[in-house]
Amino acid sequence: MYRIRLHGRGGQGIKTASRILGTALFRSGFEVQDAPRYGAERRGAPIFAYVRADDKVICERGLIHQPNLVVVADETLFDLPAANVLEGLDGRAVLLINSERSAQDWCRQLQLPGQVTVLDGAAVVREAGRVPAGALCVGAAARLLGVVSRRALLQAVAEELAGHDAAAIQTSQQAVSQAYELFAGEAGLVQRLQSGAKKSVTTPPKWVELDCEALPRAAPTITMAATSALVKTGLWRTRRPRIDRALCSRCGLCRTLCPEGGIDLDGEGYPVIDYRYCKGCLLCAAQCPRRAIAVADERTVSPPQPKEGEP
Amino acid sequence: MSESGPSSHSHLAPGTPLCAGCGGLQALQQLYRVLGDKTVVVNAAGCMTLLSIYPFTPFAGSWLYTAMACAAAGAQGVRDALDIQLAKGRISSAEDLATVVLTGDGSAYGMGLSATSAALDRGLDFLYLCYDNEGYGNTGHQYSSATPRAAHTATSRVSGYAGSKKDLFAIWAAHRPSYVATAIAAEPQDLARKVKKAAALRGPRLLLVLAPCPTGWGFDPALTVKVGQLAVETGIWPLKEYVDGRAVHTKIPRQRTPLAEYLRLQGRFAHLFSPQPDEQRLAELQQAVEDYWQQVTE
Ligand SMILES: Cc1ncc(C[n+]2csc(CCOP(=O)(O)OP(=O)(O)O)c2C)c(N)n1
Ligand code: SF4
Ligand code: SF4
Ligand code: SF4
Ligand SMILES: [Mg+2]
Repeated sequence: MYRIRLHGRGGQGIKTASRILGTALFRSGFEVQDAPRYGAERRGAPIFAYVRADDKVICERGLIHQPNLVVVADETLFDLPAANVLEGLDGRAVLLINSERSAQDWCRQLQLPGQVTVLDGAAVVREAGRVPAGALCVGAAARLLGVVSRRALLQAVAEELAGHDAAAIQTSQQAVSQAYELFAGEAGLVQRLQSGAKKSVTTPPKWVELDCEALPRAAPTITMAATSALVKTGLWRTRRPRIDRALCSRCGLCRTLCPEGGIDLDGEGYPVIDYRYCKGCLLCAAQCPRRAIAVADERTVSPPQPKEGEP
Repeated sequence: MSESGPSSHSHLAPGTPLCAGCGGLQALQQLYRVLGDKTVVVNAAGCMTLLSIYPFTPFAGSWLYTAMACAAAGAQGVRDALDIQLAKGRISSAEDLATVVLTGDGSAYGMGLSATSAALDRGLDFLYLCYDNEGYGNTGHQYSSATPRAAHTATSRVSGYAGSKKDLFAIWAAHRPSYVATAIAAEPQDLARKVKKAAALRGPRLLLVLAPCPTGWGFDPALTVKVGQLAVETGIWPLKEYVDGRAVHTKIPRQRTPLAEYLRLQGRFAHLFSPQPDEQRLAELQQAVEDYWQQVTE
């Protein structure tokens, strides 16, 4: 059986990617399951989807804990322990990363027993046009499996994108096909594992006893105010708004409009963005009447982990 | 801002899991600055429920979860409990809290309407905040009875929603409540004035806020405010209030921007523009806006 997990962020087309791969495998004669994880399909938030394929009926259900292929469409996910990207990667599994960095580089950083391979999605996009990262990765993943023909793959793209305009479908097909081509040398790298249920490797949670209220009122109660400030949503950001004080007129509009409450005013009335929380929606930059907010690529301005209290 | 939370109790803390550029969260930020922490927010299932996932909450005041159909009934319980505490002298009137319902359109226009109508009959003293993202956002944007005609949703994929957006403003006004207003976060001054007005009144009050939703409507999060402004300028989202038995518009866009400019920005209407513009349906949608403003006198 093939057990494939796809990781990315909401908005990168991970759900569609899993459907394309599922349909392509189905068209290639496999029994298939594909599903996104329900609940957190929010733009920018970590999301994963999974695909199982086998030549007989699949009786396995639920999350994939022991994948033979893990696809990571967004390399910043490695910094997020909650994304659980590396779960269950053993010596036989293949890890495919969408990244401009080399596979050797990643091997050194991650110190994994299995095989790491890299798709330079940015380069494909430069040639073929803008296509969601998820779809690009599917092109590469299909080739790594070695059992999906280009024809089946492109048909799956058309089928899953039905309803989009013809030009968008064509661009996607071109990009997916290019990614597929790039991996010709690694076709079939992913080994099929024995089907049949494996022993579950889920570790039982470490229970923590919490003080609770008397039974009649024992619903979980948060008694501390505004605890969400402990969650640093700044990690979602891929682009960073930057205020140029020389241009700013201190009108305060950006502060009023920021959905996150992530902009405060300093002693002189200038707005200050709290990068611990700014999700990078960039509506402040779009609305500033003085065009005082510029936009930079997050990777060029900071290490992935924002520092505490960073201006 | 310290690790233990903000020093001020009059705004919503950051760190919520809602989408970047969420127009509903944007409105709630502005509303909470006026309402503050002396509130009990009764929240029916929807995107905003994700604000308070144990042990995290952005609220400085209280928050309570209810099922989709029963936020207004939950508010009745909260109001009654506070009134009993007041009557028994267990809390002073200075410690009293305002009862605020927070739901999406799925609840407000549909599943929760019956309980809301009953609360209106009883003259319940509460403020209802509906953030209207025109669909069941939290479950993947299926259509609701607030979905506009022709919009693509997860359950109206082929040629868009065949129904028309329900007029919740009129339904509320027909109950003769203390206050009803429409608003949008892209017009912060209009919104702030209406919240202040609503907060100062007693009895049933509704603030119905259009909430541009980048995820469900299909546009770049940087455009949330632009889409909101166009909703007002094209006249498809009229800003108005009902008070003392009269409905009055707070902004009348005399020179209305063509509706197509609003629709074109959103993926959910893309099928109206490509492969070819669907002139007939676009004209019908524009006509519905014209018909609305035709009957507006004040
Ligand atoms: C009775 C009931 N049916 C279905 C659901 C599943 N559900 C949870 S949130 C939601 C969508 C609610 O839509 P809306 O009120 O518009 O809020 P939004 O998600 O758009 O913020 C649904 C259908 C539920 N919780 N209860
Ligand atoms: S909107 Fe622009 S000009 Fe106004 S305070 Fe913000 S940065 Fe300054
Ligand atoms: S990009 Fe601007 S508006 Fe968006 S979260 Fe960051 S500071 Fe707020
Ligand atoms: S789906 Fe829409 S309403 Fe819900 S959190 Fe995302 S942007 Fe906001
Ligand atoms: Mg909704």
